[in-house]
Amino acid sequence: MKGKIYTYSVIHSAAEAFKEKTPYVIAIIEAEGTPRHMAQIEGYREGMPIEIGMSVELAGEDKAGNRVYKFQ
Amino acid sequence: MRSVSVIGIGETKMGKLQDRTLHDLIREAGTKAISDAGIDKDKIEALYMGNFNSSYLCLQSHTGALASEVLGLGTIPTVRTEGACASGSLAFRQALIAVAAGVYDIVLVGGVEKMTHRSTEEVTTGIAGAADVDFEVNVGSTFPSIFAMIANRYAYEYSDQREAMARCAVQNHANAMLNPDAQMRKEITMEQVLAAAPIASPLTIFDCSLVTDGSAFVVVAATDIAKKIDPLRCIEVVGSGHAGDTLTAASKQSLTTMRVTVEAAKQAYAMAGLAPKDINLAEVHDCFTITQIITGEDLGFFEKGRGGAGVLAGETARTGRIPINVSGGLKAKGHPIGATGLSQIYEVVTQLRGEAGDRQLANIRHGLTHNIGGTAATCTVHILKGRE
Repeated sequence: MKGKIYTYSVIHSAAEAFKEKTPYVIAIIEAEGTPRHMAQIEGYREGMPIEIGMSVELAGEDKAGNRVYKFQ
Repeated sequence: MRSVSVIGIGETKMGKLQDRTLHDLIREAGTKAISDAGIDKDKIEALYMGNFNSSYLCLQSHTGALASEVLGLGTIPTVRTEGACASGSLAFRQALIAVAAGVYDIVLVGGVEKMTHRSTEEVTTGIAGAADVDFEVNVGSTFPSIFAMIANRYAYEYSDQREAMARCAVQNHANAMLNPDAQMRKEITMEQVLAAAPIASPLTIFDCSLVTDGSAFVVVAATDIAKKIDPLRCIEVVGSGHAGDTLTAASKQSLTTMRVTVEAAKQAYAMAGLAPKDINLAEVHDCFTITQIITGEDLGFFEKGRGGAGVLAGETARTGRIPINVSGGLKAKGHPIGATGLSQIYEVVTQLRGEAGDRQLANIRHGLTHNIGGTAATCTVHILKGRE
């Protein structure tokens, strides 16, 4: 399943629970059949180009059941 | 509905005040406001107290009763209001409604926050509760990253605001140089802001408001009573608006128009019988620099998409068409969360009275305050009018 980036940010300074992951990408995703939602996109590499409208792929869910995407 | 005026104001210096307690901050700002109003404290009939998160940051809840005891207000009723960063102006709005309705004649409104004694991670956790914990915080977002996503969406829908955002920061720091209560009295340059490392791209540390300890209080009274106390120094509240929107960023109709601001401003302008062109100064909620730009548009000072160009053209500078955040704003005066909305009222009243000293603006009649909570989920707008 695919989604599209509605907007995003690369986080360099995170809360305690996520600080080991920085830098990582947080985004609002548009996907068919579901309302816009906030999710992480995995697989960010420093300096890689990210654009609004870019397609991303559903990678699974985190422990709380929130969707996680990955760059294609 | 009766007309309501501000008759007294008081605030502490904003900053890292680690040797001072909540009691201390409340005592200083509250005593100043009551003394400034020129009334005996037994004339105060109720207290509305804005506080965001002392429950977590100081393990102190029940700040209404706390403030009442510190200020020696006896058995008057107290209410604590919480609407994230708009907590202080919510207290102000509740006091206005109560006095306008005739329930009370004279009411004290306060706000306080003590934050800097906590670590950055603890403050981040404390503030994060103003977003949706399940769907935003636990996914890994932070407030800077939510407003960074707003900035990136704005760049996509309109144009890139990196330079205008930097100018907001530089301008607010320059304004704070003239404000003795400001936390950050230090000039910064465009080069410094643009070269800074990102917190959450495209925002750098210079795009973010400060972590601040501080308190601000105001006394409001029915205008007919206010005029008997001091006709020269009372400032009438001619417009008040309050609106809400969804808590989460993802569910907003738009990220680039804050409809809470549009709606609260519409109410305040209608009540005042005024238009954006009638406003001579505004204290707006610059939690992040992009917010100041979008707010300038949503309050009607600039067309959509033109807010940043207006900032770059100097239109929001002290000498511009619509001076914004002459106090230094949340960016440089500071952001003591529960007190912020009242500190904005403090600045506008000081300016409209002509008592702002080095930072006094000339020829001003109407001032506006704009305070939002969370990701623009709560908003109040107030319009105050000075003497002819």
